[in-house]
Amino acid sequence: MNRLLIVDDSKLMRDMIAACLRPLGAVAFEFAGTGLEAIERLALAAFDLMVLDLNMPDVGGVEVVEFVRAQDRLRELPILIVTTRGDDDSRAQVLGAGASGFLAKPFAPAEILGEVRRLLTPARAIGRAPA
Amino acid sequence: MSDDVDLGEFVAGFIAESDELIATANAALLDLEAANLAGAPRPRAVRDLFRALHTIKGLAGMIGVEPIVELAHALEGLVRTADRAGSALARDAVDVSLRGVSAIAERVRAVAAQRAVPPVPAELLDAIAVAAGEVGRPAARAPAPGPTAVDAPGWDAGLTPGDRQQLAAGWGAGHRAWRVSFAPSEASAARGITIASVRARLGELGEVIKVLPRATPGQASSVAFDLLVASAAPAEALARAAATTVDQLVELIAPPAPPAPELDASEPAEAAPRDDGGAMLGRALVRVELARLDELQDQLSLLIVSRFRLEREIAALAERAVDVRALREIANLQGRQLRDLRRAILRARMVRVAEVLEPLALLVRSLGRSAQKEVRLVLDARDAELDKAVADRLLPALVHLVRNAVDHAIEPAEERVARGKPRAGTVTVTCADVGGNRLELIVRDDGRGIDRRAIAARSRRAVDADADLLDVLTSPGFSTRDVATRTSGRGLGMDIVRRIATGDLGGELAISTTPGAGTAFTLRVPLTIALVEVFSFVCGRQTFVVPVSSVEEIFELRAGQDVQPPAAAGASSPVRLAERRGQAIPLRSLGCVLALDGGADARKAIVVRRQGAPVGFTVDRMLGRHEVVVRPVDDPLVKLRGIAGSTDLGDGRPTLVLDLGALVAERPV
Repeated sequence: MNRLLIVDDSKLMRDMIAACLRPLGAVAFEFAGTGLEAIERLALAAFDLMVLDLNMPDVGGVEVVEFVRAQDRLRELPILIVTTRGDDDSRAQVLGAGASGFLAKPFAPAEILGEVRRLLTPARAIGRAPA
Repeated sequence: MSDDVDLGEFVAGFIAESDELIATANAALLDLEAANLAGAPRPRAVRDLFRALHTIKGLAGMIGVEPIVELAHALEGLVRTADRAGSALARDAVDVSLRGVSAIAERVRAVAAQRAVPPVPAELLDAIAVAAGEVGRPAARAPAPGPTAVDAPGWDAGLTPGDRQQLAAGWGAGHRAWRVSFAPSEASAARGITIASVRARLGELGEVIKVLPRATPGQASSVAFDLLVASAAPAEALARAAATTVDQLVELIAPPAPPAPELDASEPAEAAPRDDGGAMLGRALVRVELARLDELQDQLSLLIVSRFRLEREIAALAERAVDVRALREIANLQGRQLRDLRRAILRARMVRVAEVLEPLALLVRSLGRSAQKEVRLVLDARDAELDKAVADRLLPALVHLVRNAVDHAIEPAEERVARGKPRAGTVTVTCADVGGNRLELIVRDDGRGIDRRAIAARSRRAVDADADLLDVLTSPGFSTRDVATRTSGRGLGMDIVRRIATGDLGGELAISTTPGAGTAFTLRVPLTIALVEVFSFVCGRQTFVVPVSSVEEIFELRAGQDVQPPAAAGASSPVRLAERRGQAIPLRSLGCVLALDGGADARKAIVVRRQGAPVGFTVDRMLGRHEVVVRPVDDPLVKLRGIAGSTDLGDGRPTLVLDLGALVAERPV
């Protein structure tokens, strides 16, 4: 069963994201309300994918990505950024920091579902240089 | 499973979370307003404001409420510009932001009432853009004289200028700065000790200025967190809060040498409260977010529900001739304890009236400015307290009264001078506990008073008695648009004041007025009100609520779930059966029972118990969960079995509170 970590400072947004991903079927969701909690959860448990907001108190999404990518065991963790900051600068900055995907809010349920499915499929490695 | 997901079910959640975010934004703006007066920057308030607007924008986008997205986006831009220019939000920017946030609140209410959401007035967007242009110019005004920034030696990561200012402010207040490290582990997480709880506990002891994660490869935990904390608390308390030991704490900055104590120099330093923190500890005060008290109350309602279950089981046992006297005794004791607990929680919800009235000062200032009048507000609430739930409902009524006083009752300065009155008008709000669990609030102005003759002419009835005058003023049709009423000194919205004071809160409203000398409105309201948790739902295009405590379960109707097809019973009978956990539950269409139009596309069933047996009512869809004040229904036409009262879900329209159990009894199945 895939384990997904959903990180957003709005509880409603976390719930909505989980609802959008319900069609995935057997998935275990965990939630974090701040970047710090996300880093803590990632340190204590193994996840198959993280959905991450950018604007959060203390430690923002970009800093979480940078921190996560600097750790060997989390280098391959798929990270889908979901943010209201949909501009090109934010996208370039966070993808540059190592995020795997980027989705601007608002998004349709099918969009995030498609992105998560794509990131969870091992075939995403196609076209990438073998590690 | 289909990939179709409908976010419509989150509308109720959107309304609830938006309300919280709006409150956060307003609090931050008022804080910034106060900071402007004090000349001290408040980086935290700016950040809180920004994040609240940003989150509202994101959520409104998901739900698809474009005008709210537009407003939040414009305001967010204003705050970001102010932040980048390093200037505090100036007076005009705070004003326009408050207007913007109230426009957002208005649109959230429209969503709640399922009304069309009005588009954003171009004038408001322009005003926000103008304010953003002003704050964007860094040279527009000299930076506020804040405390000198200090650096934290020994702190690895760069601090922003805002962080340094915060640190300096704490330092000035006699705080010490510490680096507290916390290494999370599965074991501590299982005991509820996480970075979130550590941060919260340290936040209670001082100011958490920054938290940074640090990779610690090769150690038991692969990460650790460093928290930069400014606090006057002893090192032991900080270490305890972070679940660590004192030797793990690093002091970054020593406090400045304390000023020579004026009293007894030999007295130990700890004995004298050195700052607010110390004084707070002396009075044993804890600041609690309302959400936590609400949570407490939620838990209490769950307890009450499980107590009902317990009682039911005891009754079932008694029917089987089991001796339940001892059990019943315990259950009764538990009932009393629950009541005591409820009372204790209500006490914890009491807030100081002086704090509740605070926003009025801001209101009078901005109203006075837009009406070009000189108005002074005098608040006198002494030590009175009231339930936060009452305060939240009362404030809009007070806002209406104060607004009317400034807009209509207080004369322009020249007119006042000509009449031999002081140039500036005065609006006084006094508040006193009058005993009998009641609070009396008086909103008084020294304006022109109400012209009874004009009101009598307009309403075509005698208004010599104060009660008659009040009756006319608070009748819904009585409008300010009429010139006669405008000059007579009262405006629109008085019906709302009466609805809040007498309807929602079960209080009293009175008036006294003297021509040329002013008017006083007296509100008497209970200190606390009983709140009931309800589920709201739609049936036949109408909204109803049922008390949460009466609901056994709510389930989704699916095709093929019926034990017996509805057609078999004939069109006249609305009864069908559904299987739940091996038990057949009779289902009745609530639409048919209440003789409503529609109700054909029922998608949910609400199960209640009647004399131990479950009965389901089918409804169109569920809306959400609310805490409401239930009013008895006085109108004999509406006084029906199955209607427990009426309430207001915030849209100003009455919503019926149903007693589904009683509806079962009406037509036995």
